[in-house]
Amino acid sequence: MTRKDVPTEFLGFARPKGRAGTRNTLLVLGINGLVTRAAERISAALPGSRLVATPYGRGQLGRDKDMHTAQLIGLGAHPNVGAVLIVAADRPTAESIANGIADRSARPVEIVSLDDVEEDALALTATGIRLGGALARLISGQPRTPLPVAELFLGIECGHSDATSGLFSNPLSGAAADHLVERGGTVVIGETLEWLGAEHVLAKRAADAAIGRAVVAAVESRERAVSTLGVDLLYNNPGYENVRGGLSTIEEKSLGAIAKAGSSPIRSVLDFAEPPATSGLHVMDGPGFSPESMTGFAASGAQIMLFTTGAGNSFCSLLAPTIKISAHPHAALRTEQIDFDASALWRGEATLPDMTEGLLSRIIDVASGLSTWGEVYGEGNESFARFGSSF
Amino acid sequence: MPADNSSSGTAWNAVVIDTADNVAVALMELTDTAVVERGTAIECVVLREPVAPGHKFALRAIAAGDPVIKYGQAIGIATSDIAEGAGVHVHNVRSNRASSA
Repeated sequence: MTRKDVPTEFLGFARPKGRAGTRNTLLVLGINGLVTRAAERISAALPGSRLVATPYGRGQLGRDKDMHTAQLIGLGAHPNVGAVLIVAADRPTAESIANGIADRSARPVEIVSLDDVEEDALALTATGIRLGGALARLISGQPRTPLPVAELFLGIECGHSDATSGLFSNPLSGAAADHLVERGGTVVIGETLEWLGAEHVLAKRAADAAIGRAVVAAVESRERAVSTLGVDLLYNNPGYENVRGGLSTIEEKSLGAIAKAGSSPIRSVLDFAEPPATSGLHVMDGPGFSPESMTGFAASGAQIMLFTTGAGNSFCSLLAPTIKISAHPHAALRTEQIDFDASALWRGEATLPDMTEGLLSRIIDVASGLSTWGEVYGEGNESFARFGSSF
Repeated sequence: MPADNSSSGTAWNAVVIDTADNVAVALMELTDTAVVERGTAIECVVLREPVAPGHKFALRAIAAGDPVIKYGQAIGIATSDIAEGAGVHVHNVRSNRASSA
């Protein structure tokens, strides 16, 4: 498919290691729930910085601890982060996270910990502001330069979906995803339980048989975990509202959801927050709640999110500009929330190929610095997902 | 651009998502004739019954036991013969996934 009007480059921030940034911000990263408020005070004193502060950090074991560490390192090494100030309770943990971030991103990382200031949280704040200020100034001089769209890594999410999502917004984002993958870009979708009923279709699109089996196994594993709670996901699914809206089977419902990934071969099944080893389309075995799902995408390195919605949904990633897409004729007019109005598809006034060119151009604009509504209004957040409870 | 359709004021009133599909989706309450967008072509389907917005109808006859195809994929199996232009929903299609679980 040729789309000669779509730019092949965007203006981004070249990085010493890893994908280019679509933003260049100082990240204040609170890695322990004991210093959350101090991290908030430091970030508030440094306008333009972004704050991610976990409420956890102690009493975590096994896979739960690994998953927490993967999110901290992944968010710290995010392509849109120019430098990181780690705010910590103890220095050894901070150094371990800092080394993980530096190994993956080769970007400047500074640490301030309660260890350094005799457990004085106000001294921690003052030291953090000075260290963070120096980092903010350091990265402020970096210019945007032309970079190939192959550098782009899209995370695609859907939320508050309706009939317009499966018919239009999801196939539209899928077409944009296909275009970027053809040009060497990277795409991820997640929300494992939204593959239920369509896992055979995803499996057939896997680049090899082992990946196909991993897709099916991921769904089965979560389905089993849910059924041990006494819940049958297939009972009443599609539910009453789905059936009333015209959805007949679970396959139809899930096919509508996975349409947002497009039709490229699936290169791997990623663990939660795991960076993809190659370009192309990947699926992430992760939770279905958008704030957690998108934090997994961000921690794996996605620098732009596409978020399709029917009725509207204001949630955005903090680190990756989130492009809200709706084809609902009323919701799409909510211009303080919807970044791309696809309702002309519903009204029959535009074709999918035309609309795809428009969406691709919008993606390039946002990658090059155009603010999303979520950025304008500060809707972005990151939510740490857990695998178990604390000990 | 597609031809005008007087019943809706826009070009078409139903869509086909994939060229392999044997069902289309109504974009509004349809009672008589569906004007279907299929890629760049427009085709008319005479409906056997009213079809609600978001609901499906058959683009061609589907025999009992044959797959119902949407998004280019089987979304289930026809449980009875479905005539061209007839509604396709839970009364005449069943899931493959649920029946095997």
